[in-house]
Amino acid sequence: MTTILIMFAGVLAGATVFPRGLKKWNGWLQLGMTGLLIFTMGVSLGSRPGFLEELGAIGLKSLIFAVLPILASVALVYPVSRRFLERPDEKEGGED
Amino acid sequence: MVWIALGCLLAGVLCGLFFFPPEVTAFFTGNSERFLWALMFLVGISVGLSKGVFARVKGYGLRVLLLPLSITAASAAAGLLCAPLTGMGPGESMAIASGMGWYSLTGILLTDLAGAEVGAIAFLGNLLRETISFLIIPWIAAHLNHYTAIAPAGATSEDTTLAVLIRCTREEIVVLAVFNGVLCSAVVPVLVRFFYGVL
Repeated sequence: MTTILIMFAGVLAGATVFPRGLKKWNGWLQLGMTGLLIFTMGVSLGSRPGFLEELGAIGLKSLIFAVLPILASVALVYPVSRRFLERPDEKEGGED
Repeated sequence: MVWIALGCLLAGVLCGLFFFPPEVTAFFTGNSERFLWALMFLVGISVGLSKGVFARVKGYGLRVLLLPLSITAASAAAGLLCAPLTGMGPGESMAIASGMGWYSLTGILLTDLAGAEVGAIAFLGNLLRETISFLIIPWIAAHLNHYTAIAPAGATSEDTTLAVLIRCTREEIVVLAVFNGVLCSAVVPVLVRFFYGVL
């Protein structure tokens, strides 16, 4: 909930006081924070006691529980979004 | 983006495993929520700078429910497929897959309900879902469509993976991702208990 509230505060700041000319800097800062967040996730994974042993013991089962739900979600959402959500004017197949 | 994500993740794992003393590790893990808050504020600014984004999202009407419904149904169904592959029961499998990336809650819930091993698999499986999502969202956004980029993220699309979604999609999709994440997160504890208890 706190995360959503903080994001909402950002939306308000962006819509009212944040200078439009700094949009690009905001993008770079986001990239830096994203990298920091993923790095932190890696640190917390790597520092788990017995991480390597745990990975060896239950790693394959856990991987199956990660990969199949991802594949199934993508396989269902793609046709559903093509049929019901995409607008004719949307440019697809490229990053904005 | 995918190389940045992969590089940061690998560097983090190696530092956590071999290089960082406990106090440095504690600094990163103890402040991860603050990093996320800072990022969410910046993402919010991007959304706020984008004119008319909420009007466009409003235009979807009830169709916005299609994303969380599809992701939840697909995740649970995939759990059923996981059962014969992992040798676990269908109820346990569907409960684990219904975590949709929310590893802390799913791990704790299933440790209480089913014991330490199932809890550990639930924790690691959902943690891997979040980690893999970081890596494949850029590819999905570029080669399928922006809506589908939300699919792997599941319940995490309202916070951690939102960081990658904002880089690879557009502001309108970010608002849809937050909505999807809130709804998926709301049903995770219900579905985990339901599937484990019923099947």
